[in-house]
Amino acid sequence: MSVYAVNHLCREVLRDHAFRAAIKSDPAAAIAKYDLTDEERTALLAGDVATLYRLGVNAFLMGYLPRFEVCGLNLPTYNERIRTCAGDMPR
Amino acid sequence: MAQIVGALGVPHTPFYPFLVEREGPQCETAQLFAAVTAELEAMRPDLIVMFDTDHLNTFFFDNLPVFAIGVTDAFKGPNDEPRSVPIYTIPSRPDVARHVRAAAIAAGFDLAMTQQFTVDHSVVVPLHFMTPKMNVPVIPIFVAGHVPPLPSARRCFELGAAVKRALESFPENLRIAVIGTGSFSLEVWGPRSAPGKTDGVPDPEWAKRACALVGDGAYDTLIAEASEAQMLKAGNVGGEILNWIAMLPSVGVRKPKFVKPQMDQGHAYAAWSWS
Repeated sequence: MSVYAVNHLCREVLRDHAFRAAIKSDPAAAIAKYDLTDEERTALLAGDVATLYRLGVNAFLMGYLPRFEVCGLNLPTYNERIRTCAGDMPR
Repeated sequence: MAQIVGALGVPHTPFYPFLVEREGPQCETAQLFAAVTAELEAMRPDLIVMFDTDHLNTFFFDNLPVFAIGVTDAFKGPNDEPRSVPIYTIPSRPDVARHVRAAAIAAGFDLAMTQQFTVDHSVVVPLHFMTPKMNVPVIPIFVAGHVPPLPSARRCFELGAAVKRALESFPENLRIAVIGTGSFSLEVWGPRSAPGKTDGVPDPEWAKRACALVGDGAYDTLIAEASEAQMLKAGNVGGEILNWIAMLPSVGVRKPKFVKPQMDQGHAYAAWSWS
C-alpha cells in the first residue's frame, strides 16, 4: 500500500510548506520518514515519474512535483517523462 | 417553497484567474465568464447548489466518498494555491443541505456528509469570476469523477433529479441556481498531456459531441455514451462531465440560452434560465 504514501507525499508538497522547502533542499532526507519500497524511493529521487505512474501513483498529484520543482523535475522534464506512458490504458 | 430558477455549466481551470488578470477583460475566457455571470445575476439567486469534483484536496485516499455534501455555515478555499485567487470565506446553508441529504438518502442516494472542510479551485474558480463578493450561499455536492471506478452517468443524473426534488420541497421561498462544473475532455499532468504542457485534450471529438448533446437536450443519449471507458478515454479528469450530468435534471426539457464551447480546453460554458 505504499503507493498511498507516494500519493500522500506528493500532496504534502502542496500542503506543508516546511516539507516543500525540505524536499527542495535535501530530497533523500525529506522522504526518509516515508515507508516506501526501494523502487518507489529510487524512482522518486530520480524524478522517474513514468515508473511511479506505472506503479499506480496518481498523475494529478504527481503534478505537484514539477509545479514546485522538486526531485529535479520541472514542466519540460516531467512532461517528457510522463508522456512515455501515453500508450498505457487510460486511468 | 423554494424554486430552481436557472442552471449553469462552467469550467474551473485553475490558471484562468491569473490568465484573466494578465490578459484583461476582453480576453476570451473573461468574456465567457462574463456571459454566464450575467445570466446568474439575472437569476437573482438566494442560493447556489454546485455539483463539483474535488481534486483530492477536500477528500483524499484515506477517505474518498463517491458522493458527498457539505453541511456547514461557511467554508474556505481555495486550498491548492491557484495563482491570483485570494482565500475566500464562502457562506452556505446547512439547513438546506441537511434537508437535501435527508431527502437524497430517503430516495436511495447515500450522500456522505462533511461539516468542516475546505475546497479547492474546482469550487472557487467559478465563484471567483461569478460571485466575487461571496454574498450568495453555496452548497457543494461532491461527485468523485477523477478516481475510477467512476459512478455511472445514469446514477449521477438520478442523483441530480433527487437533489432537484429535494430543493423544490424546501419550505422557504428561495431562488436557487444549480451549477455543474468541469471539463468534457481533459488530461491534467497525465501521459496524454500535450508536448511541453501541463494538460491536453485527448478526445476533442467527444467534447464536441457532449456539447451538442447537452445543447440538444439529448440526455438519454449523453448518459448512454458517457460510459466509464469513454470518460477515461477523454482524459484523467474526463469524469468531470458527471457534474454537468447531475445538473441537467434541474433543467428538464428546457433549451439552453447558450452552450459556448472552448475547445482548446475541452470544455464549455452553458446557461439555462426560465424564471
